[in-house]
Amino acid sequence: MSGIDSKEFERVAEQGLRPANGAAVQVRGAERRFGERTVLSALDLDIRPGEFVAIVGKSGCGKSTLLRLLAGLDEADGGALGINGKPVRGLDDDTRIMFQDARLLPWKKVVENVALGLPGKKWAVWEAARKALAQVGLADRAEEWPTRLSGGQRQRVALARALVHRPRLLLLDEPLGALDALTRIEMQRLIEQLWREHGFTAVLVTHDVGEAVALADRIVLIEDGRIALDQRVELPRPRSRGDAAYAALEGRVLDRLLTVQALNARNQVRGKVVAIRTDEVLSEVEIEVVTADGRRDSVISTLTTRNLREHPLEVGAEVVAVFKSNEVALALPR
Amino acid sequence: MSKPKSSARQRWRGLLPWLVPVLIVAVWQLAAQIGWLSTRILPAPWAVLRAGYELALSGELFTHLGASFARAATGFAIGGGIGFFFGLINGGYRLAENLFDTTLQMVRNVPHLALIPLVILWFGIGEEGKLFLVALGVFFPIYLNTFHGIRAVDPALVEMGRSYGLNGWTLFRQVILPGALPNILVGVRYALGFMWLTLIVAETISATSGIGYMAMNAREFLQTDIVVLAILLYAVLGKLADVAARLLERTWLRWNSAYQPA
Repeated sequence: MSGIDSKEFERVAEQGLRPANGAAVQVRGAERRFGERTVLSALDLDIRPGEFVAIVGKSGCGKSTLLRLLAGLDEADGGALGINGKPVRGLDDDTRIMFQDARLLPWKKVVENVALGLPGKKWAVWEAARKALAQVGLADRAEEWPTRLSGGQRQRVALARALVHRPRLLLLDEPLGALDALTRIEMQRLIEQLWREHGFTAVLVTHDVGEAVALADRIVLIEDGRIALDQRVELPRPRSRGDAAYAALEGRVLDRLLTVQALNARNQVRGKVVAIRTDEVLSEVEIEVVTADGRRDSVISTLTTRNLREHPLEVGAEVVAVFKSNEVALALPR
Repeated sequence: MSKPKSSARQRWRGLLPWLVPVLIVAVWQLAAQIGWLSTRILPAPWAVLRAGYELALSGELFTHLGASFARAATGFAIGGGIGFFFGLINGGYRLAENLFDTTLQMVRNVPHLALIPLVILWFGIGEEGKLFLVALGVFFPIYLNTFHGIRAVDPALVEMGRSYGLNGWTLFRQVILPGALPNILVGVRYALGFMWLTLIVAETISATSGIGYMAMNAREFLQTDIVVLAILLYAVLGKLADVAARLLERTWLRWNSAYQPA
């Protein structure tokens, strides 16, 4: 092979060893609306270089939207997002994203998928791709079609594809959501190990609080488009799931995740249960509330009888009735 | 991948599709020989073969074959190329779709063979008219399937490609075109069928060479063996075109297990 350019080889090969510096992320008052629906509102977030941040929240809370804004795949309606002090404008070479599905091109061999979009001469690019595949333990599958791989292996290829670009910021959009429990733990270990070796900043969106506790330096809980909890994880690495501190933290975040939803809602009334009418399927709970001008009024909440049986209520109990902001309809009285 | 013990069975499987055609030809030969079939209606297979052999010896057969093949290939290249182009831009750009698609759909609903009287008026009975008809017949299957193929490319893959630094030509070459290729090749196979059909009709109307001309000429002299030979030649050419299309599918869609031999 006379066409081998040794400088080119060294340049690409060195990339496989040099740890990339993580990028700092600043989000100031980010807003994103889809039609009438506000998905993110006035969201502030700072991430230090090299930090591993997990974003948790119920589905539809805006966590994936935030990630897509950081990736430059979507644009904010207001506020500012910056990476290393530069405003995010479209796609950035220092940022790579891993999606929930691996999104490998089925018509390219595994190694070609990893080499996708890498600049440089073909053989040098392939060499880098092979190195990245070796890092995720798939060096021997380089020449196969992606359809031959299992779900976990495909995500490992996707991880190699992201890392071969030496990103300073790696965005992970629930990449392990579709994997079985064992494969998921393996992948978590691999991601943690590569994060420590490479030193990039990682932002992981997940619905699995256990995963967040296992991987993150910090857990950020998003609720109703804003940050409801920002929890530092001080557990030493590597973390083991059996650990008491681990379990306690996981429980705390989970509790917060469940209660924060009710406490954070802006549409709520406090009152006292005055009557419960139970049917076989549906039940009605009448709640007496005191309005702002001191009059008494009542609100009737309809819920399934099964739900009521699981969370029993008694007449006289103090309750908070919560309305989902996007499900309140207003009508003029006739 | 096959185990040695199953190779005999595989050979048998390979022969099985030919059993029925061979039987039909055998019965036909027998019927002609014992006089059930008049040679005015249908000549014996043997007579057809002999006619082919004689025409091949005189070189006439290859002149006609070459003329037909050249027409088919040229018409396919012109019509297919234009169809591919419009499929790409209409599939890729909403503006182009809004501008052209309605017009093309209206034209599509005119059976292209209905244009023959007009085509003769426009081009006379020369080559251009035949090429025009073939190109028109090939255009729509390629256009429709390319258009549909481009639209059917998984947007998640396109988004992934963009976020990994592909754009413009690289995105098209590495993501969009390969994603659309299965559909485009379906279009190619349909188009090849239309190509021969159009050519047969065009050549029987007005030509001085080609297989269609050979058949029409033979009809005037009641040479049924040559007429049947011409029909069989079309069948063989059609089959060859289909085999070529399958070969393309097998090489270009190697990654897709649906296009691999069982």
